[in-house]
Formats: sequence, C-alpha cells, structure tokens
Amino acid sequence: MILLPPLLLFIMDTIAMIAIYLITTLSLNIQYGYTGIADFGKSAGVAVGAYVVGAIPGRVLMAFLAIEGDYIKDNTPIVSAINSVLSVDVALAIGTLMLGLALAAGLGALFGYVASYPVARLKGEYLAIFMLAISEAMRYIFNYYTPVVGGPYGVTVPDPFKFITSAYGGQLRLIFASVVILIISIGMFYYAERLARSPLGRTLRAIRDCDVAAEVLGKDVASYRMKIMVLSSAMAAIAGALYAFYTLYVAAIAYDRVTWTFWPWTILILGGMANNVGVVIGTILFVVVTRLIIIFKRSLEPILPFDVIWLEYILFGLMLILVLMFRPEGILPEKPTKTIEFEKIKERRARKGRSHGKASS
Amino acid sequence: MWMLLRDAITYACMLILLSTGLTLTYITTKVPNFAHGEIAVIGLFVAFTFLKIFGLNPYLAMPAAFALSALTALGLYKLVLKPLMKRGATLDHLMIATLGYDILIFAILNVYADVLTKVYKVKTRGFMPFRPYDFTVLDQPGIFLVSVVAVVVLMVTLHLLLTRTRFGIAMRATIENPNLASVCGVNTELVYTISWILAGGLAGIAGVLLPFYFRGSPCLGFVLIVPVFTASIVGGFYSIYGAMLGGAIAGLSEYLITYAIASAVGPWFLSYRVAVPLIMLAITLLIAPEGLTGINWRRAGSLLKQKLSGLWLRLASLGGVKA
Repeated sequence: MILLPPLLLFIMDTIAMIAIYLITTLSLNIQYGYTGIADFGKSAGVAVGAYVVGAIPGRVLMAFLAIEGDYIKDNTPIVSAINSVLSVDVALAIGTLMLGLALAAGLGALFGYVASYPVARLKGEYLAIFMLAISEAMRYIFNYYTPVVGGPYGVTVPDPFKFITSAYGGQLRLIFASVVILIISIGMFYYAERLARSPLGRTLRAIRDCDVAAEVLGKDVASYRMKIMVLSSAMAAIAGALYAFYTLYVAAIAYDRVTWTFWPWTILILGGMANNVGVVIGTILFVVVTRLIIIFKRSLEPILPFDVIWLEYILFGLMLILVLMFRPEGILPEKPTKTIEFEKIKERRARKGRSHGKASS
Repeated sequence: MWMLLRDAITYACMLILLSTGLTLTYITTKVPNFAHGEIAVIGLFVAFTFLKIFGLNPYLAMPAAFALSALTALGLYKLVLKPLMKRGATLDHLMIATLGYDILIFAILNVYADVLTKVYKVKTRGFMPFRPYDFTVLDQPGIFLVSVVAVVVLMVTLHLLLTRTRFGIAMRATIENPNLASVCGVNTELVYTISWILAGGLAGIAGVLLPFYFRGSPCLGFVLIVPVFTASIVGGFYSIYGAMLGGAIAGLSEYLITYAIASAVGPWFLSYRVAVPLIMLAITLLIAPEGLTGINWRRAGSLLKQKLSGLWLRLASLGGVKA
C-alpha cells in the first residue's frame, strides 16, 4: 500500500474529468465548430459508450471465466469474482480495457451512422429537436429496460485497473487510470488538430460556411456530414466508455442532457468554436470551477438551505448566456488555417524548377 | 374504457395548452423554445405551494401560475433572445441560449424545492398526484372537466383574437412577413411580447393541471419536452391550429397506442410510453417535416394516385427531397 497526499489525488481526479470532458467537447467541436451540425443530443453518443461498457465486457469475461448467474441480478458478486481474476491477470485486464473501448467506438460509430440519416435530411431547429428527443428518449428507455445496464439500479463495471489496486492500493489505481485517460485524450486532441488542418478540415469549414457553395464545387456534403457524425459519435462513445471504466458504475439515467449535452456545449462556446486549443482552455476552466464548488461544498452547506450543485447550474447557465451576448466567439476565436511558410514554398518551387530544368535540358 | 379515454383526453388537453404556446413563440420569433417544459413546471410548483403551504385548492393557483410563467417566458425573450438577435446571433446560438435559460429555471426550481423541503418538511420530488384534492362533477374528476374547458376557451379565444380583432390581424401579418408588417405600421415588438406572455401563461396553466396527472418533480420539464415538440411538429410548426391538432393527435395516440400495445404484449410496455411520441416525431420529420397542416393535400393525393404502385419508395424519396 502506498499512501499519497490527498491534494495529488484530487488533482489527478480533476485531470481525469478534464480529459473525459475534453474528448466529448472535441467531438462536439468537430461536429459543430468545424462542420456546423448542431447536435443537441450529444449525451446520446456518450451514453452509447457507457452503456456498451456497462453491458458487454462484464458478460464477455463472465463467459470467458465460466462464471454462472444472471449478470444484472447478481451483478455485484459476479463483478467481484471477475475483479479477483483481473487483479492478478494483467493481460486480461488490459484486454478488457481495449475490448471495452473498441466496442464503444464501434457501436458509437454505428449510432452515428444511424443518426446521420436525419442529420443528412434535417437542418437547424428540426435537427436540434430531433437529436434532443432521441437523447432524452434513449435515457428513459434504458432506465426502464433492465437487461442492458440494469435500469434504475445500474450496473458495476469490471475494473481493468484492478491489478494496480491489488499491488499498490486504490490510490495508485486512480493515478494510473487518470494517466491512461489523459494519454487517450491527448491522442484525441492531436487527431482533432490534424483533422482541422487537413484538406478535410478545410472542406468541413466550407460546408459549415456555405453548404451550397461546397456542393457546387463538387463536394458531397451529405456524405461528409455522415462521416463526421460517425467519427464524432465514436469519439463521444469513447469518452463515455472511459467515464464508465473510471467510475466503475453505469446508470442509464445519469447520462442526461445537462451533464453530457449542455456542459460540452457550454465549454465549446466558452472556449471558442472551431478552435481546439480554446476547447482545452474551456474544459480546464469548466472542470476546475465545478471542482472548486465541490471543495467549498462543505463550508457552504450549513449556510445554504439547498444543495450546492444548483449553484453550479445557475452559474454556468448564466455564464453561457453572458458569453453568447458579449463574446460569442469564445475565449480563443477561430483562427485562419495555418499554411506552409512562405520560405518553404519558395524552397519547394525552386526545387521543382530545378527538376523541371533538368528534364527539359 | 371510458376512464382510459378520459385520461387520454385530459393528457391531450395539457399537451394542446403547451404545444399552442410553443408554436406561438416559434412562428413569431422563429426560435424553438427548449425552456418551454420547465416554464410549465413553474406553474406546477405554484400549484404545489398553494396546496401544501397555503392549504388552498390548487386550481386557485391558475392566475398566479399564469402570471409567473408568463413573466419567466417574457424574461427569456426580452433579456436573452432579443439582445442576442440584436447582436446578430445565429439560430444555433439562440437555441442553446434557450437551453441555458432552461437550466437556469431548472436550478432555481430545485433550490425552491430544497428550501420547501427544509422549511416545511414536505416532499417536493416525486410527490403523489393531487387526485385526492380534486372535486368531482357527475362522477367525473374535476381535472378532466377543467382541462377540456381550458382548451375550449383557449381555442375559441385564440380563434376570435386572430380573426376578429385588429391585434389579431397585426399578429397574422407579423407572422407572415415581419418587415412588411412593421413598414405598414404594425408594432411587431408588441406582437412578439404578447405572444411570449401568452405562451408562458398557457404553459403555467398547463403546469397547474399537470400535478393532477403526473408525479410532480422539478425535472418533469425534461420528460415533457419530447411529447410537446412532437405535438407541435406533427401538427405543423408553422400553424397555431396545427399545434392544437397536433396536441390532440400526439396526446391521444401516445396514451391509446401505448395502452393498446401494452394490452397486447403485456403491462411492461407501459414504461416505454416515451418511445411513442419519439417515433411519431421521427416519422413526421422524415416524411413530411412541414406537419399535417403544412402538407399540400391535393398535391399529395394526386401524387399518391400517380405512384400508387411505388407508394413506399415515393414516400421515402419525398422525405429526402423535402427536408
């Protein structure tokens, strides 16, 4: 057992939440910031990832380890039996994590593919209403349909970091899990940046700014919108899967439109649309402020006659409206795409000219 | 059977009150108001306060609920949407602003609920419906009669307002073409203000009726948003009469279809009620997003005659072209 200072644990926990929200908001940024698809049902994509992790890895391991019983009804004993195996079998634990993330990404992509059918056909308010309705309805349906994630009782998830708990204790598990999530989110950030600067990124911005013009120039707008739906839903599902693996618990009702649709939108608008660095700043700002509210919860609780969490809602609800009014471009506004330096272009042209010269002579 | 139909009609009436207001603000300001459900919950808590704190009949809360909800809706328009529109905000920004306002109302209602629980020791989340406090006339519950009367009064008043008064003509002109209307001397700002007040007030009235039917809770607005938008869109998002028709269709079918399927496959289906409006919404949006009142029926009829053999193919491609 290794004991660590509580401040470090708190910081690592905050970092894990920042990383998870970063992935969600980056996916929204690709979708809305770059392509202009106003997805008001982001929570549905995140929920798909979390439900997959709640439903599938545990059952696969159950079959693999030949554990008898009903996964939902005897959830706690089955998961603790699985965890006792995972605490020694490192390869199986890593395999569980990989399987969970891969399945979440796959099913998230499938969800995005299905959702792209309305996205390709609807615009503006109709799309927003439809996506919002899908996410709300999905939450209620899975809250009643117990076989997937246990309905109102939820399910516990097998812990892929259990081998660290058994070797070094739960505190180090938290740190290790946070680092893994952080690395994945950095990878996602790198990918989002590359995407934004690629020819695809420029095409997406052209579609966002004027889809008719893009269509006239020969871009298949519907197919680009579909691809972006698939991509961003897969990303959101990975965020949901990581959140489920991190908290080790999935309840259908938790993936509501405040936590996983409204907060990412707030972060995106606060940080700056179509600017991934802005998204990082917005995410850090948002998560740190919510964490500070939690810190002051104990000291505020005796004074206030209500739950402190509502302060967070009021604060961010107000902040969103104020940002929309006074700085709608966000903290970091969208920047023009970086192009190759002029010196490099000259160099390349010179080289090309030489090779042409050789060919002609 | 009568009891079932009675409940379905009551529910449909509540939806009509809500969807009419939603459509009214949409056709004037052109912004779908995602806070509409939560504005209704304000009415619900006014009724709750009247009953549990003051010990009065919840129906007496109607004027207060109308006023408070109307004020909240007007606040959304005057303090949030209008300044944003002046600054040239996009539709997406306006929509997310209404969501933000929704979260604000939700949080404030929760604070109020927490305070009530702490001070008066009453259950404010998931409290039982007010059925025991209702009156009966000829063995019919008061809520049924009140809902039907409220909707009939609403329909008649709104129809007379729109067709028989100068203000109604101004309103219709503003809906048709705001720029032209204001050039002709119509005070469009007054039209917008009145429509937001009416929408909020109607939501407040619906909110007073809701706790007779649902278990009350601050998050009821989240549940309501799907059927209310379904009602508005099925009827046609550009017509007030469409909203009334849509409310009736969505309310009755949500109730009766759920019941019919549940009696066929088993009572477990009752939990999936929310799926019925969602499917109706999906079908409407993909086949005829202009809604029932927006479809050109004569053209649709001739199309059907022409392509009767390839009916389904035709419908699918119609969805593709129209949207």
